[in-house]
Amino acid sequence: MSSTPEVIVCDPKPMGLLQRLYVIEVLKGLGVTLRHFLGNVFRRTYTVTVEWPEVKREYSERLRGRHILVAREDGSPRCVACYMCEEACPADCIYIEAEERDSDSVEFEKRPKVFEIDLLRCVYCGFCVDACPKEAIIMSRVHEMTFTTRDESVAGLDVLLQKKPLRKEDMGYRPYYGKPHSHIELPIPVKPGGLLG
Amino acid sequence: MATRDEIVASIRKAFPEGVRLLDGGDLPTFVVDRAELLRLARHLKDDPGLDFKLLADVCGADYAGREERFEAVYHLYSVTHGHRIRLKVPVREDDPVLPSVYGVWRAADWFEREAFDMFGLRFDGHPNLKRILCHPAFVGHPLRKDYEPGQRWLLREGEQDEPVWARQPHEDDDHFETQVINLGPSHPATHGTLRTVVRLDGEIITQAEVEIGYLHRCFEKMAERHTWKQVIPYTDRLNYCSPMINGVGYCLAVEKLAGIEAPPRAQLIRLILSELSRIMDHIVCIGANLNDLGAMTPFLYMYKAREEIYSILEACAGGRLTISYVRVGGLANDVPGDFVEAVRWILRRVPPLMNDMEKLITRNRIFRDRTEGVGVIAGAEALDWGWTGPCLRASGIPYDVRKAQPYLGYETFDFKVPIATTGDTFARYIVRVEEVRQSLHIIEQALERLQPGPIICDEHHVALPPKEQVYTEMEALIWHFKLIMEGARIPAGEVYGFTEGANGELGYYIVSDGGGKPYRIKVRPPCFAIFQAYPHMLVGHMVSDSVAILGSFNVIAGELDR
Amino acid sequence: MTSRDLSISPGGGSEERAAARRPDGSQVFLTTKLDALLDMARRNSLWPFPFGTACCAIEFMSVMMSHYDLSRFGAEVVRFSPRQSDLLIVAGTVTDKMAPVLVRIYEQMAEPKYVISMGACACTGGFYRAYHVVQGIDEFIPVDVYVPGCPPTPEALLKGVVHLQEMIGKGETHYQRQLAAARAAARGGADGNA
Ligand code: SF4
Ligand code: SF4
Ligand code: SF4
Repeated sequence: MSSTPEVIVCDPKPMGLLQRLYVIEVLKGLGVTLRHFLGNVFRRTYTVTVEWPEVKREYSERLRGRHILVAREDGSPRCVACYMCEEACPADCIYIEAEERDSDSVEFEKRPKVFEIDLLRCVYCGFCVDACPKEAIIMSRVHEMTFTTRDESVAGLDVLLQKKPLRKEDMGYRPYYGKPHSHIELPIPVKPGGLLG
Repeated sequence: MATRDEIVASIRKAFPEGVRLLDGGDLPTFVVDRAELLRLARHLKDDPGLDFKLLADVCGADYAGREERFEAVYHLYSVTHGHRIRLKVPVREDDPVLPSVYGVWRAADWFEREAFDMFGLRFDGHPNLKRILCHPAFVGHPLRKDYEPGQRWLLREGEQDEPVWARQPHEDDDHFETQVINLGPSHPATHGTLRTVVRLDGEIITQAEVEIGYLHRCFEKMAERHTWKQVIPYTDRLNYCSPMINGVGYCLAVEKLAGIEAPPRAQLIRLILSELSRIMDHIVCIGANLNDLGAMTPFLYMYKAREEIYSILEACAGGRLTISYVRVGGLANDVPGDFVEAVRWILRRVPPLMNDMEKLITRNRIFRDRTEGVGVIAGAEALDWGWTGPCLRASGIPYDVRKAQPYLGYETFDFKVPIATTGDTFARYIVRVEEVRQSLHIIEQALERLQPGPIICDEHHVALPPKEQVYTEMEALIWHFKLIMEGARIPAGEVYGFTEGANGELGYYIVSDGGGKPYRIKVRPPCFAIFQAYPHMLVGHMVSDSVAILGSFNVIAGELDR
Repeated sequence: MTSRDLSISPGGGSEERAAARRPDGSQVFLTTKLDALLDMARRNSLWPFPFGTACCAIEFMSVMMSHYDLSRFGAEVVRFSPRQSDLLIVAGTVTDKMAPVLVRIYEQMAEPKYVISMGACACTGGFYRAYHVVQGIDEFIPVDVYVPGCPPTPEALLKGVVHLQEMIGKGETHYQRQLAAARAAARGGADGNA
C-alpha cells in the first residue's frame, strides 16, 4: 500500500441480549418518534413545513427563475440583438430576430424584433445571463409557473420585457461585482405557531 | 508506488513487441496490439510489481479519418501501489474485433457491452455481448462521429429486450416449475429506472439479469455537441443526488488538461460543497434504503437536513438541485457573506438527526436481521468487479481517492476512511453513516481555513473575465466574445480525471482536439461497475433481499445510464 | 402510435362540454350535479403515481417531505400501482426505451386520470435533443399541466397540483373534455334518432 490511509473499522458489534430481545430497542425507537410527535403537538419544535401558499419561502437573490429583458428608460429593450445568449444556451431555447433601429450610436444599432424563450425547454442554467455583454437579460425570482399547452410556454417580448421598475425582490440571478449580496436564511423560515404557541 | 519509469520498464521487459509507449500524457499510455491484449492484461493483473487489480474503465473512441478508426481505451489502477496506466487498442472499421478481457477482470462485463453499443466494437469471448444502453430497436451506433445526434428510433410495446433464458420453460430438480418475475422498470423499489428479471425457485432467486439504459440521455453525445462550458449543466444531471461533485470532477479534469488551477478559495469552497453534497447523497441513499425496508421515519427526519443544505446551494449558485456552480478555473460566483455561519448551522443540525436515525435503526433487530449476511461480497471479488467507494470499503478495502490520490488539498485534512470487513448490506449502511460524520469533520476544518480571495482564475482563454471588466475593457470583451461564440480552447490531448464521488471513483476520460468543444468525454460512473455485480449477487437470495441489496448500492440512474 | 389514438381532437372544447351539461332534462341535471360533486371529491383527493425517472424525482421527493408536504393538498397517498392512482406525475426524462412503459402505465390507470408533466425533460425533452430522449411526453400521452423548470422548485410543482385541481373543478382537463365530447356526441346521436 502506498500509504496506508488511516481507517476506522466500524464493524457492527454482535447483538447484545437487549437487542436480541427486540422489544426494548423498539421502545427506545418509539421514544424518539414520540418525542418528535409531542414536540410538534405542543410546541412545534420539529415542524419545518413551509405553509405554501400562505407563507412563501424567499429564495436567495441568485435564484434562477424566469428571465427578464431589462428595459431602457424609454421602455425599449436594452438588448442589442447580438445573439450571444442564443449561442451560449445549451438548450437552444432562445430565438432572436434582429432589426435595425434609428440610433445615433453605433453601439445600439440593432434591437430584437422577436425575442422568444421556450420556458419549457429552458433548463434555467443562467448561461444566457453570463453571456450577455449588455446586462440586458437577467433572471427573476419567478419560479412558480404552470402551463396547459406547449405554445403558451413560449415567452416573447411581451412577457419578458420588464415593465415596471425593477425591485430587488423580483431580481434573481444576475451579474455581480464586488461583494456578493445574497444571503442564506437558516433554518428555513416557517409559520410560527402551534397549539401552545 | 512504482514510478512511471519503473512501470514502463517492467512492461517493456515482458513485452518487447506489440506494445508501444506514447509520449507524454497524464498517465503512462500504451498502444497495444490486439493480439497481445489478453496476455498483457494477465501480466498487468498478476505481476506483483504492477498489480493492476482494478479495471476502472473501458470505453471506445472514434477517430474518423484515421486508418484504424476505433480505439478501445482501458484505464487500470492498482489499489496496492496506487498507480494507474492507460491502454489503447486500435482497430479498423471493417474489422472492429478485439478480445474481451472479461476473463481477466469481470469489471469488463458491462463496460465492453457499452463500447459495443456505442461504437460497434466487438469483444471476442464476451459472454453476453448485446446492447446495454440503447433499446433493442435501435439501429446504428450513436457515438460514432457520423451518427446524427437527433436521429431517434421508436421502440414499440412488445419489442423490449427479454433475457434468453426467461423465455425458456424450466424445471428444477424436484420437477416444480420455476417462475420468472419481472421487477421494474417502474417499480417502487427500483429507485428510478432499472429492470431486473429473476427466475424464482420457490422464493429463492436462481438466475437474474438486469437491464439498464432506461435513462440513457446521451450525455456523451451531447457533450461532443456543446462547448466545454455548456457541458457543466449536463454533468449536474449525472449523479443528481450530489450534483456538485460531478461538476467538480469535470472541471478538475478539464483544468488538468488545460494546465490551469483554480484559486485556493475556490478550491476550498468546492471542497466544502462537495462534502455537503456527499452528505446529501448518503442521506438519500440511507433513507431510501430504509424506506424500501419499511422504515419511513428516518427518511422524513433526515430529509430535513437535505432541504436545508439545498438552501445553501441555492444561495450560492441559484439552483437547488442542478446548481451549475463550478466553472473551469474556479466558480461562477463567490459565496454569500453568511456562508460560513450557514454551514456551521448545518454542522450542528445534522448530528442530532443522524443520532435520531441511528437510535431508530442501527440497534433495531429487524433491520439487522434483514441486512446482516445479505448481499455479502468479499473485498477481492468486489475489486474484480470494479467496485469503488463506500461499497468497496464495506468489504474491507480502504480505497478512497481522497486519500490515495488527493485532489483539492484533501491531503491536508484530518479524516479517516471508514471501512467494515463483513461486506454485507449492513456494512454498507454503517460505512455510509460513518462517512457522513467524517465529512462533517472535514467541513469543520475547511471552514477554519476559508480566506477571502479570488474565486476564478484569470486565465481568460478558458475562464470568462469578470463582468465589470467586460463592460469596460476592450480586451476582456473580446475574450468574452470568443469564449461564448467559440468556446474555450483546451489544448489537444487526453486526460483521465478522477475524484471520489459519493458512490466511488468518478472518472472523466476527456479527449480534446484543441477545439472549442470536447472531442470525446467518457464518464466512468461508479455505480455502473457496482451494479453489474448485482445479478450475480442475487442468486441464492430472496426477492425481498434483492430490495435491500439494491438500496445499499445507491444506484443513481442518471449516472448509471448517463 | 398510441399517442394518436389518445390525443383529443382540437374541436373537443368547452362549448361541447357546456352543451353536455346544459340542464335541459332532469337526468342530465342530476348527472351534472353528481359530476360536480364527484369532481370536487376527486380534486381534493388526488392519488398520484410518481413516474419518477431522473433528477426531477428527487425534487418530487422534496415535495413529499416535511418542508413542502404535498399531503396538505390532499394528495399524499402516493401509489406505485397505476390501478390505484388517478394522477400521473411524470417527473424526469423519458427515453425511447421507457416510452412504451409510460404508455402502458397511462393506459392501466383507472379513469378519470390526469397527467402532470414535471420538468423540462418530461415537457419537451429539455436540453437533451438527442437520439434516445422523447421530446416531450405529449408525443405519447395527453398532458394536463406542464410545470417548467429543471427541476421545478417544489413550489412550482405544488402550484401545478393546485392548478390541476382548479382545472378539474372547471372540467377543463383532457379527460373531462373528452368525456363531455363523447356524451355530447352520444346525445346528439340519440336526438337524431328520435
Ligand atoms: S437559462 Fe440556460 S437554458 Fe435557459 S435560456 Fe438561458 S442559457 Fe438557455
Ligand atoms: S446577449 Fe444580451 S444583448 Fe445579446 S442578444 Fe442576448 S440579451 Fe440581447
Ligand atoms: S427537467 Fe432537468 S431536473 Fe428534471 S429530469 Fe430533466 S434534466 Fe433532470
